[in-house]
Amino acid sequence: MGVRKLLLGIDVGSVSTNLVVTDAAGELIERLYLPTAGRPLEALLLGFSQLAKRFDDAEIGACGVTGSGRQLAAAVVGADIVKTEITAHAAAAIHVGPGVRTILEIGGQDSKIIRIEDGYVTDFAMNTVCAAGTGSFLDRQAQRLNMSISEFGACALRSTAPVRIAGRCAVFAESDMISKQQAGHAIEDIVAGLCEALVRNYLNNLAGHRMPEPPVLFQGGVAANAGIVAAFEKALGVPVIVPPHHDVRGAYGAALMAREVCGPTRFSGFGCVTSGLFAKGFECDGCSNGCEVVALMRDGEPAAYWGDRCGKWGVKLAGTAADARRQTTSA
Amino acid sequence: MVITIPRLGNTHMAMRALFDAFGIACIIPENNKAVLQRGTAAAPEDMCLPFKIMMGGFLGAIEQGADTILLTGSCGPCRFGEYGELFSRLLKQTGHPADVIVIDAPAEIGMKTLLSRFGRIAEASRAPRRVKIAALGQAYQILALADALDAAAYKLAGYERETGACARLLAAFRREMRACRGPEAALKVLESYHRQIRRIGMDPSRKPLRVAIAGEVYSMFEPFANLNIEERLMRMGVATERLLTPTWWLRDLVLKPLHLNSPEVKKRSAPYLPVPVGGHARETIAHAEYARQSGMDGVIQIFPMGCMPEIVAKAALHGVDVPVLTLVIDEMTGDAGYDTRIEAFLDMLEARRRRAKRWA
Amino acid sequence: MVIGIPNGLIFRIYGDFARAFFAELGIRTVFSPETDRTILDAGVRSCESEACLPVKLFCGHVAWLRGRCDAILVPRLMRLTKRQSICPMFCGLPELARGAAAGTRLIDAPVYAPECGGLDAWAKQAASAVGAGKRWDAALKAAMAAHENRKAGFCDSGYEHTVALIGHAYNIYDRFVNMDLIRKLHALGIGVITHERVADADIARHMAALSKPPFWYFAQRYYGAALHLLVSAKVDGIIYVSAFGCGVDAVVEALIRDAAGGAAMMTLKLDEHTGAAGFDTRLEAFADMLGRRKANGDHHSPAGEYAYGYAGAV
Repeated sequence: MGVRKLLLGIDVGSVSTNLVVTDAAGELIERLYLPTAGRPLEALLLGFSQLAKRFDDAEIGACGVTGSGRQLAAAVVGADIVKTEITAHAAAAIHVGPGVRTILEIGGQDSKIIRIEDGYVTDFAMNTVCAAGTGSFLDRQAQRLNMSISEFGACALRSTAPVRIAGRCAVFAESDMISKQQAGHAIEDIVAGLCEALVRNYLNNLAGHRMPEPPVLFQGGVAANAGIVAAFEKALGVPVIVPPHHDVRGAYGAALMAREVCGPTRFSGFGCVTSGLFAKGFECDGCSNGCEVVALMRDGEPAAYWGDRCGKWGVKLAGTAADARRQTTSA
Repeated sequence: MVITIPRLGNTHMAMRALFDAFGIACIIPENNKAVLQRGTAAAPEDMCLPFKIMMGGFLGAIEQGADTILLTGSCGPCRFGEYGELFSRLLKQTGHPADVIVIDAPAEIGMKTLLSRFGRIAEASRAPRRVKIAALGQAYQILALADALDAAAYKLAGYERETGACARLLAAFRREMRACRGPEAALKVLESYHRQIRRIGMDPSRKPLRVAIAGEVYSMFEPFANLNIEERLMRMGVATERLLTPTWWLRDLVLKPLHLNSPEVKKRSAPYLPVPVGGHARETIAHAEYARQSGMDGVIQIFPMGCMPEIVAKAALHGVDVPVLTLVIDEMTGDAGYDTRIEAFLDMLEARRRRAKRWA
Repeated sequence: MVIGIPNGLIFRIYGDFARAFFAELGIRTVFSPETDRTILDAGVRSCESEACLPVKLFCGHVAWLRGRCDAILVPRLMRLTKRQSICPMFCGLPELARGAAAGTRLIDAPVYAPECGGLDAWAKQAASAVGAGKRWDAALKAAMAAHENRKAGFCDSGYEHTVALIGHAYNIYDRFVNMDLIRKLHALGIGVITHERVADADIARHMAALSKPPFWYFAQRYYGAALHLLVSAKVDGIIYVSAFGCGVDAVVEALIRDAAGGAAMMTLKLDEHTGAAGFDTRLEAFADMLGRRKANGDHHSPAGEYAYGYAGAV
């Protein structure tokens, strides 16, 4: 029996770093959900050391990376494909059901809506400026209510008359919630009201006047929250499907996309993440832009750069998002 | 008289050469984060990004000795036309008084007023009249050549054999221009780079994504404001076309009273937006329509937060059958979400091509 | 046939005009009601997210009219006088409202400066859009008369303090979005004077001091009215009501603030998520400040800490 060819998907996000291993057909074999905690390299090191116990380097036939830390991850592990989390989420959703029309995705620091037709992304929107439509908003309110985020969903479902929490902006929503608490509303009505406020903000910010078309898939960490799922269903009037492994869909999509890249993998093996790696930020003084460039240092030597606007540092590299795109378009 | 002007794309190259020839000192502020921070603090919160960047630049320039601000105007209905009045008041308030000379379109203020405003600058120069007239022509040439070089590099980046060749050429060009003084030297540099770009190896068999840039003029022209959108796209191997340039804008300003400006803009935008609404909303729509007609893959619309004409344009763009990515920039726009949006848009455009192929 | 008229933006000024115009043509009109939560929500959802609050509200009113009429009146306001335009959003209003109308026909004939015969052209197009093209002349006359006869603006007297209440009609007279501002001011003993009650000549006088008068019609009115009322000592201070995302307000407010020198001035920024509590606090603090200033006799003192202390945006 020859060596099995597995797919590795990596999603380095601001909140969590997720790793997924699937077989060649896209069946999930292993998944890891690790907190990034501002140290993506440590999360990768931890994840790789766990995967190395189960898998051989030679088994990994292709590797895809995604997430806001995709540049870093690609430079470290040697990726075959580097794509944004929007494209990765879409790839994962289309694999589940080619008929899917809408993906709702709410992460810790941002939220997105992706519209799909016929298995192809036709439109997307992304919110990065407003916290009121993201997971961190819920975390904060749960904290304020002295409740763990896992209880939050169940609590919201107990409500029969959700309170209307006004506010498009997290700060104002919070002050309104406090005043509702002072007015003596039941906790479950307030929690359900928060869920509805988040969904309202999400739809206002991202969906615009084009309501999401069914089938609707809900991915990302917040999809675990039954209160939000219920609020979405109430607002949209259609069932909202939470796929299995909803919290690592980005990594899963990255793995699937890697499958489509031909040729031998560029994956450098599970041993490539070492403690000798660190990322060093500096301000480039090449012009007045003052870009904050990140250098990936391997054993004291620079191995990769990114973050410059002009490409002065970045063009020296292979394996960047730009290079990956050049290959796909020239094909 | 020490003049300062806002930095706006390649215009500073032409203006620098012009003032060198006139023998008038000119301070052109750099645009960077510190300048923006300063401008944001000094400007009313709800003013648009171009105002804040300019404000920061002027504060610095006045501290370095500038006493006169030269600004182009427009008689609305976009806010840009009110900049002059606000600058002069706010700068005075913060203890940085300066004369503000607004060069409005002759159609609005009349040729006489316009010439008298130019006259104030011309009077400060001891250069002979003949030199001044020649310098005006050279400045225009510098602007046109610099814009043409940019345009060529942005487009050719999609076809270059060696990754980054066009980007490196542009970077070298900008460095050399910074050190260059006087119109003759600037023209020499420009001619040399126009020769060099023709020698870059191209692969005509490549089929790169072709993307048009449209939107509000300041945020399109000034790389600092748009976070170097075109250079980002160059690195991603995209062939980018932007139909509006400072050269176009200058011609438009002069030709407007004669109604000779861009008849095709009116024609292309009319089905989607039948009237002018100010700013360059019609141009934005016309260029999206042009992109659609010429088979380009998509359009990126850029405008600063709160830009009134472009919001109307965005609504009207829903009618044009071409993928559009709208990037709204303000002082808080960061690199991360920006790149993700652009990359995801390009992925979408590629998928669109695959889909078209499948159905073909 | 029923024509829907959205109760926002220009129809806060030209509502009577529109009603009379269609009444004369024998066409029934339906106005959307006062703004409420549902209208606000519908507007926020159906409009471009970058648009300002008043445009979103207008779209909410358009959405309310959907299904309640055969066509909705959404004119393009191009120019109010030969040299004065209003904000670009007004020129592109049909484009912005199309999503909210969701297929309901819009009567979107453009309005150019009345002094150039622009209103005649609008009346002809609007009348023929409802199949009564021949009677446009009479309808326009009736509409003009209704507009002239309307009671516009406030010129309160007999209150402890009086302020110039400056801002767009659709901010000042929309009781939902401004949380019943005028009633609250009255309850605090503050009377208001609005720009409609200031004569054109008084406004023109203050334009001369500007290097170039603002090209927006309303900007000239607001700036001139605020300064006239202040300089002629008819008011004790200025309250500027601005809307979130309004580019015109950003400019005009800054110009008035600069020209007003040390006079008491407060800006109230209306937003869809303004909390009533903070709003009331600001109004009361401003009333206190007016009282203290009067007691100290420094009616027009240079900018003190108080003047700016309370001048922040809500």
